[in-house]
Amino acid sequence: MVKMLMPVDGSESAVSAVAHMINKLEWFKDGVEIHLLNVQNPMPYGNRVSSVLGHDKVKQYHHEEGLAALQPARAKLDAAGIKYVFHIGVGPAAETIVQYAREKGCDQIVMGTRGMGSTANLLLGSVATKVIHLADVPVLLLK
Amino acid sequence: MDFADAAFWVALMQIIGVNIVLSGDNAVVIALAARSLPPQQQKAAVMWGSGAAVIMRIVLTIIAVEMLKWPYLKLIGAVLLLWIAVKLLIPEDENEDGITASGSMAAAIKTILIADLVMSLDNVIAVAAAAKGSLTLLILGLAISIPLVIFGSTLLLKLMDRYPIIITVGAALLGWVAGEMAITDPLVKDWVNANAAWLHYAAPAAGALFVVLLGRTLAARASQEHKAVVDLASGDRQP
Repeated sequence: MVKMLMPVDGSESAVSAVAHMINKLEWFKDGVEIHLLNVQNPMPYGNRVSSVLGHDKVKQYHHEEGLAALQPARAKLDAAGIKYVFHIGVGPAAETIVQYAREKGCDQIVMGTRGMGSTANLLLGSVATKVIHLADVPVLLLK
Repeated sequence: MDFADAAFWVALMQIIGVNIVLSGDNAVVIALAARSLPPQQQKAAVMWGSGAAVIMRIVLTIIAVEMLKWPYLKLIGAVLLLWIAVKLLIPEDENEDGITASGSMAAAIKTILIADLVMSLDNVIAVAAAAKGSLTLLILGLAISIPLVIFGSTLLLKLMDRYPIIITVGAALLGWVAGEMAITDPLVKDWVNANAAWLHYAAPAAGALFVVLLGRTLAARASQEHKAVVDLASGDRQP
């Protein structure tokens, strides 16, 4: 069974990557265990917001925003009747994706090339570029 | 300083930058505190919260203008600004507990008012520092911060999600204006102008550098302590 990490951010690119992967699941003979991951950027302003509101409020915010970002990808998988688990992390996007893959022993990272982040160059988004650099498992990028 | 003066526009840019950073957090606190309320109360909480922030800003600005004429106070203000700037760069500490607001309207308003007071004070010190005694700039600074507080939370969060460098630039800017303010304190102004005019560039640069270097160092130390990725969805029912 291939343990596949699919980072998504709610962008069109991420959703179409998930949709594409759904069609290609027969590539993997022993089946696939899909882990959707949304990474939320840490709250800016240092701890100025959390020191007033408390960490729970900030966490709750990240949780709500994370669920919203996961929703389009989840809808695709639900519609196709494919089982998956979903996760929400907080941190710098690429670093957190790679770290999560390492911690959970994922065999492969599959993601779209252009998310919501700022653009590193014409062809690849900055997160995808960074994930390729940092990852120690194969990375499949879908255009 | 007037509209034809390059220094005026530089100072105005500084004020806008300072406002983006130090009004943004206020806006975000108001928005997040209001989120836990029932929808029909959210609007009222945001309105009261923003209104209070605006009034506090106006009152504090008037006080700040008067007080900054006294000796020592610009020096103290400069140190405060450096401290505020460095703290902007240190990521939030998971172990530290803030005030936990319950879901009631009164609790939300209380949280918002505390945040308004602290954050308006920081903002006013920074804007007063950047305005360098110009009343026009002070009023402009105030005027710019008000819509940011009222309408800015979503916009500013999106902006900083996309370009996190804004916070670093904003913190460096605070360090810069802190340096500028320190050397114009009545206590040292005459001496600096007579003996060390080069400090007009060196002190702001040193302030900016100090903030970024110290902030980065402390942030790096904090991120080393942070280990595993915390899964916020671990408590959710999985499909």
